[in-house]
Amino acid sequence: MTFYHGILNLTNWAGNVILPTLGGLFIVFAVIQFARGYQHLYSTWAYGGLMCLMVSGLLRMFEKFTGQAGWNNPDLYWNSLLNLVDWFANVVLPVYAGMHVAVGAMKFAGLFEHQVHQQFNHARHFVGATLCLLASGLLRLAEFFVSKGAAGVR
Amino acid sequence: MAPPQLLSDFMRLMLLLAPSAAIICLVLAGLSLRQGSIPDALIGSNFAKWMFWAVVFLTLPQLISWFPSFGVPAPLPGGGVGTGWMANLQTDVANFVQNFVMNRLALTFAAFFVLRAILDTVQGGHPLPSILGAMFLLAIQTTVNLIQSYNSGTSYATADALDSLWNYTAGTICPIAAGLAIIGAIWNFVGRRPVMPLVGATLGLLTVSAIWKLVTSMM
Repeated sequence: MTFYHGILNLTNWAGNVILPTLGGLFIVFAVIQFARGYQHLYSTWAYGGLMCLMVSGLLRMFEKFTGQAGWNNPDLYWNSLLNLVDWFANVVLPVYAGMHVAVGAMKFAGLFEHQVHQQFNHARHFVGATLCLLASGLLRLAEFFVSKGAAGVR
Repeated sequence: MAPPQLLSDFMRLMLLLAPSAAIICLVLAGLSLRQGSIPDALIGSNFAKWMFWAVVFLTLPQLISWFPSFGVPAPLPGGGVGTGWMANLQTDVANFVQNFVMNRLALTFAAFFVLRAILDTVQGGHPLPSILGAMFLLAIQTTVNLIQSYNSGTSYATADALDSLWNYTAGTICPIAAGLAIIGAIWNFVGRRPVMPLVGATLGLLTVSAIWKLVTSMM
């Protein structure tokens, strides 16, 4: 019994066993918040559920950010922050831009009006009911995205 | 003039009991790990103090070898304790620390810490300090072996052991702690608590040695 193995197994257990399970719970919460019309809350739960499935990937990402210079390079922390900023600016923001262009186009075409005011609309209840019956499918879909996303890491 | 037998045996007794004292220090360090938050416990709390004394006790002969350079001749007597009752006392105390304090008492403390972790969670607190404290208590023997393996056998053994412990913490424990920090960041994100401190900590835990080099290059 060593402290090293203890903390290593604790991290593995929390990251690879507990969080992916809680990820399913968070997606369930996201569906419930969506059905209740709490638009400002459900996205947090949904992103949280997705991140719970990506713990190992996020850690590998941070290891990649901090591994671009030698371990004894005084600029390593700055370089790591730079890589983080670079990733947010050049990877996350373009994806976010694509999402907003798609939403804008849908609004422009009038396809999205019901969703915009869904807390006052009957459609929210039907969509919410559908999502409630699709919880496992949503989780499988998130797992599919995460497993496919690993291809981009390599 | 040779020192009296009783005095030499007393010195041998103290030296032979040093590893037992180190074990007691490590038990106290493990108990201190639970007090306050993890950063408070590690730096500026009793944990660091007891770890330091554990290292001192495990490198005591090498530390005493500095005394001749101060003009104080301190030849260390080798071998076992010659006086019967002192030898028995040494064996009994060593057995007490090994079998009772480390193998039984520390184990029970660790079990209580696991219970404490659950109760901390019930109160809305964090279970991690208690879990880490329990793990430290369960790993006292291997920690003693680790520190002994860092004993260089020279006059600088205490500093060498502390250096090696820092390297071990920075190079082995901190990258794993970065994984825990990521988990904490996700947990905070879902709970709508600040995420950025844990993101910065993750980067810091993965670059401890580089930050050390940065600080030394600033001097």
